Amino acid sequence: MSQAPPRTVLEIDQLCVKFGGLVAISSMSFHVDHGEIVSLIGPNGAGKTTAFNAITGYLQPSSGEARFLDKSLNGLKPNQIAELGVVRTFQKTSLFGGNTAFENIMIALHRQGRQELFGSLLRLPNMHAEERRLRDRADEILEFFGIAARRDELASAMPYGEQRLLEVAIGLATEPEVLLLDEPASGMNPTETMSFVRMVERIREQDITILLVEHDMRMVMGVSDRVVVLNQGEIIASGPPSEIKHDPEVVRAYLGTSAPHA
Amino acid sequence: MTSPGTNRLAMGRFAPFAVLAFFALLPFWMTDQYFLHVLIITGIFIIAAISLNLLLGYTGQLSLGHVAFFGIGSYASALMSIGFDLNVFGWMLVVTPKPVWFCILCGIFVAGLAGWLIGKVSFKIRGAYFVIVTISFAEVMRLVALNWIDLTEGPMALNNIPPLTLWLPFAGETTFWSKVPNYFLVLSIAAICFEIVRRIVVSRVGRAVIALRENEPLAMSVGIDVTRYLLIITVISAAMAGAAGGLYSHYVRIIDPDVFLFIFTVTMVIMVVVGGKGTLWGPIVGGLLFGIMPEALREFAAPEVQWIIYGVAMIIVLIFLPQGIVPAVGSWLQSRRHGSEPPATPEPPGAKGAADPS
Ligand SMILES: Nc1ncnc2c1ncn2[C@@H]1O[C@H](COP(=O)(O)OP(=O)(O)O)[C@@H](O)[C@H]1O
Ligand SMILES: [Mg+2]
Repeated sequence: MSQAPPRTVLEIDQLCVKFGGLVAISSMSFHVDHGEIVSLIGPNGAGKTTAFNAITGYLQPSSGEARFLDKSLNGLKPNQIAELGVVRTFQKTSLFGGNTAFENIMIALHRQGRQELFGSLLRLPNMHAEERRLRDRADEILEFFGIAARRDELASAMPYGEQRLLEVAIGLATEPEVLLLDEPASGMNPTETMSFVRMVERIREQDITILLVEHDMRMVMGVSDRVVVLNQGEIIASGPPSEIKHDPEVVRAYLGTSAPHA
Repeated sequence: MTSPGTNRLAMGRFAPFAVLAFFALLPFWMTDQYFLHVLIITGIFIIAAISLNLLLGYTGQLSLGHVAFFGIGSYASALMSIGFDLNVFGWMLVVTPKPVWFCILCGIFVAGLAGWLIGKVSFKIRGAYFVIVTISFAEVMRLVALNWIDLTEGPMALNNIPPLTLWLPFAGETTFWSKVPNYFLVLSIAAICFEIVRRIVVSRVGRAVIALRENEPLAMSVGIDVTRYLLIITVISAAMAGAAGGLYSHYVRIIDPDVFLFIFTVTMVIMVVVGGKGTLWGPIVGGLLFGIMPEALREFAAPEVQWIIYGVAMIIVLIFLPQGIVPAVGSWLQSRRHGSEPPATPEPPGAKGAADPS
């Protein structure tokens, strides 16, 4: 797409995660280049969510590391990793349930604000300007995701499909470099999934790199530049979707557990 | 957790001014000195409850030792105003009596510092750990106040604490001996604390701690340094409780280690929870209720019976209004307003400004 040679933004280097005796991820290595959409797929329990947790600081890897633009993410807290621009969503629906959709986005715009305690207490003039800017931005984002009509509804009271959209909207509001989406379309109906695919492509157009975990094979094959296949904590295949579809190991791993609905 | 409607309670923009005006006019027709005394003490407790609500209601952290900050504020301010000397490892530290306004500021500062310390040691691990640390801290402070007799007079109490003296326009230098000036003093400080909390909770800092309360992992995932913002709020909350303590010292003019009693923390928690935690008006409504009710009961009930009535009242409120009084009234008002509109309009046109929690 761009003329410049692909730049690796996220590099997973021999990442291992153990839970006691259980090896959830063993020596996982792959990379994601700038502007790419890479999908991480595999049967339930393969270790996809664990990989996300290890990359984004929610758990520390037993060995190996993840790097963002050559900077090691080991030992950083999730908020520090988000501050760098690596932001994830959660597999289980995760919202600020007691707040409205609009307030959810306002919270997520934290990184776009500068106001600290004294500015807010003294109501410095630039505070109003900043708040206005953030509010406009929040409305834009709700509009982008087609949930502006729910603006003042409680997040916890929104329909499920729209809650899932709001989660991605929260992730996007942070203006990440890399967005890690953990099964964002699970629970969406086919129509919602279709419009979500278009949404993902429009997010990519905003120069945001995406690492996607998803079970919907049609979506994965349709949207990804590359696919990394994980089985029992190990990468068994990786490559463009056209290759992955016919990879015998992938077919076996999938047929051995749950068949994709493609 | 806390109901959303709480934040968007339909107490218009002018409600704070109306309430303030009501209480400012009250002493002009309620001249009963004892009643004013009750209101002053209630006001001091409301300030403490406002400070607790900032922490408990908006960050979700339960400080069960909140009275420690109140007590520290009251002792620090009282000691500064009386003067003291202290033997610090062979050095004699002699503090001569200072003007009371300055002493109250010192009390606020020392209480804020204590909040910072407690936050530092306990926010690495939150939740139950914070509860335990704060309870223990308050109890340790009580024992210090009880046993460090050289400094605090222990159970003999610090007495002859001077009242506040201020230079006031039109009145000149005024010493706050009587009820009326103290009433206005407490009312002003309560209004300031209310406004501080109001400004914080609509700000970026406020959103950060509300995010922590609602969903900590998600808050971190959007880049919020939750520990840092929690610490900031704890310092503000502790400092505010310290201000209440200072006001108490120079109004009552005698304090003893009982200012650290656990029961006062419980009272503050009850005020906040019954009024509605995480709402601006909750601690005020709860504070007025539980500040004035004991006095109303006093004439015909023994203290033990009062406590039972207290407890029963609290349980009844929380069974029927689990979010507290203010959120319940808020959603009742809202449903009434919606009910009077034609049912075909689910989205009220004025909903734009709904994010403003005042
Ligand atoms: N916190 C944890 N403690 C112990 N085991 C875990 C934990 N999280 C995940 N696991 C285990 O690690 C493996 C991978 O889980 P997960 O990453 O959630 O899989 P996926 O997201 O691919 O479905 C599973 O066997 C799971 O039971
Ligand atoms: Mg998973």
